[in-house]
Amino acid sequence: MKIRKYCKIDREFVVIDGALYPFPKEEGTHFLTALYRALSVDYPKFHKMDTLSKLGFLASELIFREEDENILMFDNMAIICFNRSSSLEYDTKFQDSIEAQNYYPSPSVFVYTLPNIVTGEIAIRNKLYGETSFYITPHFDAVQMVRTVENAFQDRDTQSVLAAWIEAYEETQEVLMMWVEQGKDGGMPFLAENINTLYNKSF
Amino acid sequence: MEELILKLKKEIIEVLNLEDVKPEEIDANAPLFVDGLGLDSIDALELIVLMEKNYGIKLKDASQGKEIFKSVAVMAEYIQANRTK
Repeated sequence: MKIRKYCKIDREFVVIDGALYPFPKEEGTHFLTALYRALSVDYPKFHKMDTLSKLGFLASELIFREEDENILMFDNMAIICFNRSSSLEYDTKFQDSIEAQNYYPSPSVFVYTLPNIVTGEIAIRNKLYGETSFYITPHFDAVQMVRTVENAFQDRDTQSVLAAWIEAYEETQEVLMMWVEQGKDGGMPFLAENINTLYNKSF
Repeated sequence: MEELILKLKKEIIEVLNLEDVKPEEIDANAPLFVDGLGLDSIDALELIVLMEKNYGIKLKDASQGKEIFKSVAVMAEYIQANRTK
């Protein structure tokens, strides 16, 4: 397996295939919103997403923006995500909202009280029809990531995998997303060692 | 009417969690659904609740929403004409 392309986003920087992606930070504006504006994407639904979905959405936009849409449509791409805190950010927000007096359960909040919503957002946006899954692990675990992606390739349908670690809770907002394909040529080997290097590397 | 439109924009931003959107970024005459703000059926439910909670308007027929939620300006006109609080 090899990494065809990768994207890393955190509060400090955005990186595509090892190159920094500079964008203007705006005072008083969340860095993800500033990045969305810098990408000139016209997708109003972005503003309604939770942080987890925004991270996944923007990383996938950066990965796919220069790719041929037709290739993506016919490519049976699976989306496999991992994180530590599930959708706790919005779970808490929802709990707070229903504890208030005269509450009503707000659909725009509780729709994001599942972590796998981000996989749906990416699949809908890019018309990806492969399997989608979201795993919660105690910590970033590259070995588990490789094993799970390897398993996904065992079926007859999966041609490629969009694998990502997406964490959004309190001060941590980070994503490492990798477009993984079978074969060895033309990309970095999808090995735990390489994934750890990408995850831990500062730019 | 301008005041009501601005108030409505702020309320829509709040109930739909459009945290990054500023009232001035919402075109009062742009469609609320699909294009424009890109709202969906879940958001329609939020708008129905908003009208009931904040303006005392209870929609008898949910299909009325299609006309009422055409844009912020249309919504404001309907609220102006039918509000009970």
